[in-house]
Amino acid sequence: MIGLSHYLTVAAILFVLGVLGIILNRKNVIVILMSIELILLAVNINMVAFSSYLGDLTGQIFGMFILTVAAAEAAIGLAILVLYFRNRGTIAVDQINQMKG
Amino acid sequence: MLAGIILLSGTAVILSRNPVHSVLWLILAFFNAAGLFLMLGAEFLAMILVIVYVGAVAVLFLFVVMMLDIDFAKLREGFVSYLPFGLILAGVLAAELIVAAMAAVVVGSPGEPVAPVIAAAADVSNTEALGALIYTKYAYVFQASGMVLLTAMIGAIVLTHRQRSGVKRQNIGQQVARRPEDAVIITKPGVGQGVEL
Amino acid sequence: MQPIAESIGIAAPELVLATGAMVLLMLGVFRGNRSLHGLTYGGVIIYAIAGFALLGDAQSELAFDGLYIADDFSAYLKVLIFAAAAICSIIALPYLVRARSDKFEYPVLIMLGALGMSMMVSANDLLSLYIGLELQSLAAYVLAAFHRNEASSSEAGLKYFVLGALASGILLYGVSLVYGFTGTTDFRLLQVAVTETPAVGTVIGLVFILAGLAFKVSAVPFHMWTPDVYQGAPTPVAAFFASAPKAAAMGLLVRVCMDAFGGMMSEWQQIIAFMAIASMVLGAVGAIGQRSIKRLLAYSSINNIGFALIGLAAASELGISGVLFYMAIYLPMTIGAFLVVLSLRGADGRPLDTMNSLKGLSKTRPGLAIALLIFMFSLAGIPPLFGFWPKFAVFNAAIDAEMYVLAVIGVVTSVVGAFYYLRIIKLAYFDEPEGTVLPQESRVNGALLAGIAVFCSPLGLFLMGPITVAAARAARAMLTF
Repeated sequence: MIGLSHYLTVAAILFVLGVLGIILNRKNVIVILMSIELILLAVNINMVAFSSYLGDLTGQIFGMFILTVAAAEAAIGLAILVLYFRNRGTIAVDQINQMKG
Repeated sequence: MLAGIILLSGTAVILSRNPVHSVLWLILAFFNAAGLFLMLGAEFLAMILVIVYVGAVAVLFLFVVMMLDIDFAKLREGFVSYLPFGLILAGVLAAELIVAAMAAVVVGSPGEPVAPVIAAAADVSNTEALGALIYTKYAYVFQASGMVLLTAMIGAIVLTHRQRSGVKRQNIGQQVARRPEDAVIITKPGVGQGVEL
Repeated sequence: MQPIAESIGIAAPELVLATGAMVLLMLGVFRGNRSLHGLTYGGVIIYAIAGFALLGDAQSELAFDGLYIADDFSAYLKVLIFAAAAICSIIALPYLVRARSDKFEYPVLIMLGALGMSMMVSANDLLSLYIGLELQSLAAYVLAAFHRNEASSSEAGLKYFVLGALASGILLYGVSLVYGFTGTTDFRLLQVAVTETPAVGTVIGLVFILAGLAFKVSAVPFHMWTPDVYQGAPTPVAAFFASAPKAAAMGLLVRVCMDAFGGMMSEWQQIIAFMAIASMVLGAVGAIGQRSIKRLLAYSSINNIGFALIGLAAASELGISGVLFYMAIYLPMTIGAFLVVLSLRGADGRPLDTMNSLKGLSKTRPGLAIALLIFMFSLAGIPPLFGFWPKFAVFNAAIDAEMYVLAVIGVVTSVVGAFYYLRIIKLAYFDEPEGTVLPQESRVNGALLAGIAVFCSPLGLFLMGPITVAAARAARAMLTF
């Protein structure tokens, strides 16, 4: 029988994968954006699992709004990325170092 | 099994060398998550995940990856330098979170709900129950998320829309305002005489 | 179920801003970028109307089934937010025109950001908290990258976006844990559910939520983005980032800590105290040796947030009113300092940002130099100036709560901090000028600068009475509900 903790564990690992993706990735900003999507997916799994086990719909409503906002966030993120690419001609993470101090 | 595939494809997303592969792995992860949602009885969210995420967001990602046309060969090296630090951090974080997840089992049910539980009536489908809530109790948040989407739209347009010079545009006002008298000359030329334009 | 009409009446300020933003957007679309000036001043009128809508409801009221709360606390912060947003959209005008970024979307985005902030300070549920926060952040990401042709601006936008999205992901994960382990997202109900011996999941959730919010107030250890974003973003946008969102996020932090997680006070008090100490120290030390004025101001804002957090760490009515008082003085000081930077233009008309460009300012631009002197002494917290009193208030609260270590570290770091503020004064007053600085180009900006300088000068002390009274009332509203 699959219990709540199994879902939570999956979500936890997925969340850590997303964070790891952001920390480890030094080469490509698009992958960082995808890692953020993974984090939000992990949160959603958490939300839906809790909602299902509490028998309370709030979690699913929350999940729905997270999906909405995440879509908006992806759009903005990609827009900024495209703008950055136009200005600099690269999206490698190592190159984002014009400002230091 | 679904969970296993999610984790596998999640790993692949961050490890893939080619961003296009990453996007495809991401799509696989989304599909499987949708499967999990179905198992949990959240049909509506599962469908939204497939339609909005796979259908729109992932395709947007794919679009940008292809548009930016990056030299992938150059992007390969690196990655290892932060590996030890990253792995330690991830290990600690994962351990903590799994402890939290396990705690849910030890306690039995996670906490005694203090709130009046908003349960769906048995004879109502998941979609209907959610719909009944977002337009009543959560109307405020619903409107606010509309503003969020508006902001995203304005933002994307402000940042990436360029006015190119030399593009021929359709001027609808001019087209509609055009009258036959301006456009057509009706003449009755005599036989053997040409038409003077 | 509360009738919608009643809720709408309570949430009138947000409604005014949302409608106003859409009206401005439509006008802008039809009139094109020429309408930037008109839209900006139209926006100021809308902020005034929204501020007017705040008056009236004195007691605390819930709306939309507990998703939204209107009380003295939120009204106080909203006044600050609206004023800062209005000023930041006005001061941007000459800059945007000169940088050829004069797009009509600028005031619209500022207004949407202000809407998000005012939703944040009125949030009474984790869901409305999240949506408000995201609305504010999305507008901010776009504003940071607003200068489209400047690589540093889009770099600032990208950095801000990646770290900001990560922070909201962390916040959300915390929210999901708290929801799962307590079964509710409503602050009132959380207050009941969260007790002195919380479940492990709730504690981890709280830590994650605090981490996400710490990013928004740029408290150490989540401050990394601040210097880069302030330096790269257009100067008026940096002024905006340093002012209104800080007040909103601080208000949110106070409400989440005192209200929702009031039962776990001992847990979060340690975290907040640590963040306060780390921010004060790092802000003071990091600023030393900076060459860019905007970076220096970024460290100064980290440092100041540290001081404000002392008040929250004290977790008393005195402390909360100290935080509110602090924000009311910090906002004009920082906007004023950025206005000085905004007024610095080299001989070729390009904006200056290096510390060396301040050299000999007292000879080339005496008026500006006096304003700079007032802001720097005020930020340093030197007694006769206004900036001293909020620091005094939070230290007082810390001592009252018997947190002597916190108060002592605060005093020490403010002495260290005074060093770099004084360095700026030395550059401006005792060094020979290098190059020329063009005169102020906009009379409105000059007038605003003078007004804010007078506010921060000892003359502002006449206003101290009303502000402290309002802050105390707001703090009481926060605690007694």
